[in-house]
This record gives sequence, C-alpha cells and structure tokens, in this order.
Amino acid sequence: MGSYLSALMMVLQPQNFIALFLCAIIGVILGAIPGLAGGMGITLILPLTFALDTDLSFCMLLGMYVGGVSGAFIASVLVGIPGSASAITTCYDGYPLTKKGKAAKALSIGITASFLGTFVSILVATFCSAPLANVALMLGPWEYFSLCFMAVSLVVGLGGRSIYRSLIGAFAGLFMATIGTDQITNQVRFTFGNYNLLGGISVISLLMGTFALQQVAMGYAKGQQEMPEVDAGSLGGFGLKLHDFTDNIKEIIMALLIGLGIGFLPGMGGGVANMIAYSQAKKSSKKPELFGTGHEAGVWVSEVSNNASVGGAIIPMIALGIPGDGTTVMLLSAMTIHGLQAGPMFIRTNPDLANLIFAAVLVAAVLVFVSELFTKRWFPLLLKAPYHYLYGAILMICFLGSFSSGTSMFGVYETIVFCLLGIVLLAFEIPVNCMMLSYILGQKLEYYFRLGCSYSYGSMAPFFTRPISCIFLLIGLYSLFAPVVKVLIKKVKAAN
Amino acid sequence: MKKFNRTYLMGIVWLAIAAVILWQTTILPEKFVSNEPGPKLFPYISAVGIAVCSILAMITEGPKETKEGSKAFMDKAGWMKIFLLLGECVLFALGMNWIGFWITSMVGMFVFIWTLKEKKKINIIFAILLSICLGSICYFGFTKVFSIPLPKGKLWKMLKIKMP
Repeated sequence: MGSYLSALMMVLQPQNFIALFLCAIIGVILGAIPGLAGGMGITLILPLTFALDTDLSFCMLLGMYVGGVSGAFIASVLVGIPGSASAITTCYDGYPLTKKGKAAKALSIGITASFLGTFVSILVATFCSAPLANVALMLGPWEYFSLCFMAVSLVVGLGGRSIYRSLIGAFAGLFMATIGTDQITNQVRFTFGNYNLLGGISVISLLMGTFALQQVAMGYAKGQQEMPEVDAGSLGGFGLKLHDFTDNIKEIIMALLIGLGIGFLPGMGGGVANMIAYSQAKKSSKKPELFGTGHEAGVWVSEVSNNASVGGAIIPMIALGIPGDGTTVMLLSAMTIHGLQAGPMFIRTNPDLANLIFAAVLVAAVLVFVSELFTKRWFPLLLKAPYHYLYGAILMICFLGSFSSGTSMFGVYETIVFCLLGIVLLAFEIPVNCMMLSYILGQKLEYYFRLGCSYSYGSMAPFFTRPISCIFLLIGLYSLFAPVVKVLIKKVKAAN
Repeated sequence: MKKFNRTYLMGIVWLAIAAVILWQTTILPEKFVSNEPGPKLFPYISAVGIAVCSILAMITEGPKETKEGSKAFMDKAGWMKIFLLLGECVLFALGMNWIGFWITSMVGMFVFIWTLKEKKKINIIFAILLSICLGSICYFGFTKVFSIPLPKGKLWKMLKIKMP
C-alpha cells in the first residue's frame, strides 16, 4: 500500500501530472476523431519518450491510452460514427438519443460510464496483478511457450475474413520475429549483410508503417467523410441524475465484468468487449426491443465494457508480459525500449513502476472524466478537425519517430516498406493485428520453445504432459480449429 | 471480361514468399546447441505455415470468388493517390538524408497538407506557418531539449555549411 501511495504521489508531481493531463486530452481528441484513435497517439509519442524519464514516459503513454479509449464515444453519440471499434455499439443507442434531443444526457452517460469502467477495472488490476504474477513465477518455459501460443491463437481465431488469412498473417509475423541475431546460438538470420537488421526489425518502424502511415494513406485514398452538423446549443448541463445510474446498475456490473474478462484475454480489448456486453445486455433485458432506439442502458453497457477492458488488458501485460489488446502491444514495446522486461518478475523487480502504471491510469481516468464534463459543449468542434493538417503533422511525426528509434535512416526506409506491407495485407484481407501480435510474441515463442526442448533433453513431451501447459495448448488449438470444424460440420449438415 | 480473383493472387504471392523463406532458411549455416531444435526450425515453420494456409485459402475460397468475382479493394484513382503519397514519403526520406530533417520537415509538411487537402480550400499562409512552426518545434525540441540527434543533411556537410 505504501508503495502504491508513493507511486500515486509520483504521478501527482507537477511534470508527470501535466504530461498525463495533456496526453489524456490529446488522447480524447484523437479517440473522438473517426479513423484515428488513442493507439495512433501512443505510436506517435513513443519515440519522444526515448529521451524522457521512465516515469514521465509512462504517464504520457497511459494518459494517451485512457483518453483515447474514453474519447471514442463522442463521435458515436453526436454523429453516429464510431471513433473506434470499441464504440460501435455506443452508436446504436447514443445517436438515437441525440436525435431525440437528449445529446447532453447521452454524452453524460458516456463520460460517466467511461470513467466507471476505467476506474473500477484499474482497481481490480492493481489488486490482481501481483497474485497472478506470483502464480506465473511458478511456470517454466513450457508453460510460457503454450501461453504465448494461446495468445496468438486466440487472436487468429477471432481473425478477419477467414482463419487461413489470419494464419498467414500470424506466420508472417513469426517469420519477421526471426530476422536478426538468434537469441540462443547468436546465428545471424535473414539480414542479407545489413548490420541495421542484426537487432531485428524495428518495432517502432513496424508500428509507424503498418499502423500510422498506412492509416493516413488509406484515409487519403478512400476520401474522408464529412461530418454532419451538430447542434451545440443542446449540450449544456450534466443531464444525469442518480436514478439514471441506479436504474441500470445490473447492466453496468455485468458490462464491467465482461469488459474485464475480455480485456484480460490476449488481443481482444474494447472492440470485442462492447459487442459482447451489448448483446448480453440485450438478451438479458426484459425490454430487448428498446435497444437500438435510444435506450440509455445501451450506452451504459457499451461504454462501461470498452473502458473496463483497459484494466483487464493491463493485468496480463504487467503480470505475464502478454499484451491484452492492440494498444497494450505498444505499451509493451515502450517497456522494452526503456529496458524493462514485462512479465512475472516485473512487479518484484520494478514494484514502483508497476504501481505507477496503475496509479497513472487511475489519475488519468479522473482527469478525463472531469475535463470531458467541463468541455462537453465543445465536443462538436473535435469532429470538425481538418484532416489535411492533422494527417500532414502525423506523417511528419512518423518519420521523426522512425528515425529517432534507431538514429538511422534505415528506420525511415523500413517505415515506408511496412506501410506498403500494411496496404498489401489490407488488400488481401489479412488482419494486421495477427501479424503484429505474432511478431511481438514471436521471439518469446521461439525462445521458450527451444529452451523447453533444451531443458527436457530434446523432448517435446513436457509441453503436453505438464498440466497448465497442456491446458493452454488445448485452448489455443481449439480456437484455431473450432472455426474450421464448424464450417465442415455446416457443410456436412447441408450435404445431408 | 474475365473476373479477377484476388484470393488466387494472394495465394500465389504468399506461396512465392514462402518459397523464398524456405530457400533462405536452407542456406543458413548449421549452428545448434545440443538438445534444442536450432535456429532453422521457426523460419521453416513460418514458411510451411504460410504455404499451407495459402493453398488452403485458394482451395476453400478461390472457387467461390471465381464465380462471384472479387470486390475491388480500391479504384484506380485510389491507387494513384496511394502511390502519390508514398512517392512523397520517399522524397521526404531522401530529403531528410540529403538536406536534413529541419528543412525537409517544413517543406515536406506543407507538401503533405497540400496533397491531402485535395479540392478543399486552405489558408496558404496558415499552412506555411504551421509547417514552419511544427517542423522547427520538432527539430529543435528533439535536438536541443531532448538531445536526440536528427539528420542535418549530407549536402551541407559536403558544402561545408554548418546547420543548427
């Protein structure tokens, strides 16, 4: 507790607090603008953090994360276009509420629900991460390999158009992770004599290329949507009473649990959480017909669940070194850049930083809540942000970031190549997130697999005979093969 | 007109990539520690995995797409826009290398704004000022405040001109 309070005090130090606040506000702005997201903000400020103190860096990154997830509901409520995938279901009831003239109420629900989701979930994460890390310390390389395998499989199983395309993405990521110097034998692989590749592909260049640059290029190629006008005059006041909260308490608690659970599962995050929470709330409601017509419960569950996934995603990141969602992949990269190894030992070796992460999210949630409440009236202005200025600045910052990550022009060229790769993957409907997660976990997968084989004198049996490892493998295999088996069963049934 | 099948194209491209990975893995020198599978295993797994999944995708999804035809991912104008922007990105990268980040960022950002605005009207003075301010803030912020070196430009070095 003492360590947590000192971390909290650290977050409240003026420079950390101001950086957290500013980044949270920028995160809200990016989250609100459809096509951009807080993840984009994290990608862009990541290179800036190289030269900064670790505490300050994480305050900035986490502020951006919390702001980005929270801000996504703004466009959903005001214009019916989700700021990101995590706010898709918020459109279903948030926008109809606006059309009924209840925009102020819908925004207040969104703001309060976002706060509740993040605040409660990070408290749960604070208390759960240490025990989970202690359990994880008892695991060997066999379990770690199986855990990483399960994480990649779950993301592949969720994949886009087909399981095969998702698998191609995952195998491509796995191959990319093998480029550079092998960790065990120091064998140099696939560098073609280029010393810039000895340390492997730059994560920053990969993120900048496949995420930021690709998004700008695609946005430009497809043309930006013009946002409809919003009546700002109807946005005054809090518009929310205590009974609005108590009337929906059951749905809120359920959404909170779903958000936490989904966030905990690798690779899922708010995008899946809001869908599941919304459909669950609709199914269990006595008046399911009201959902989609401007029902307040719809906005509550959607926003509580997607924000609860923040805390849920931080638990495996801190305790196991496995990213819970796309944005935590970037946070994990930030840890690596700062010379930190996320995983079971992290809480023991860096208790202050672990607590700082929890405290920063907590403070960011409060800051976002207060600032959103006071600036609600100006939300429509966010949606009018001129894309050409914004994208122009993003492109410039991308090059700045990719250069400074390795202080070499090679990173800049890599970014352009990865942008092309991102567009090719998109054209072939291969999910980029499968490749990304597989790349991030690829080195761990290989290292633990070979270490496990080495410890067991070349035998692979312990991967299956050790119970926890076996369970992880079975879950991973199930998520890989279940979609294929389901299709086959359907075909057989149809044929009969 | 013959219907275009993007799944087959995807399968062939990835099969070719898998073949290159396989070949490159085969020519890696043998180096292994006893009791462990060695550094070739995972590249082999990746190559075989990509090849198998590409074939399966072609078998399961290809025929359906042949019947129905593929939805165009992007029209010709869209592709032109992508190549225009990527071309500008390449020029930006070359500019960074030859004339340094400071000048390139200011000029480059204005060019990006000009390209991205398409048919919209913009305030040119504002765009120029924004490009100069943001480029300068980034350059001096990184080099002077955070002490992160940014390229000063090979050209100035050759001409023996000292850049800030």
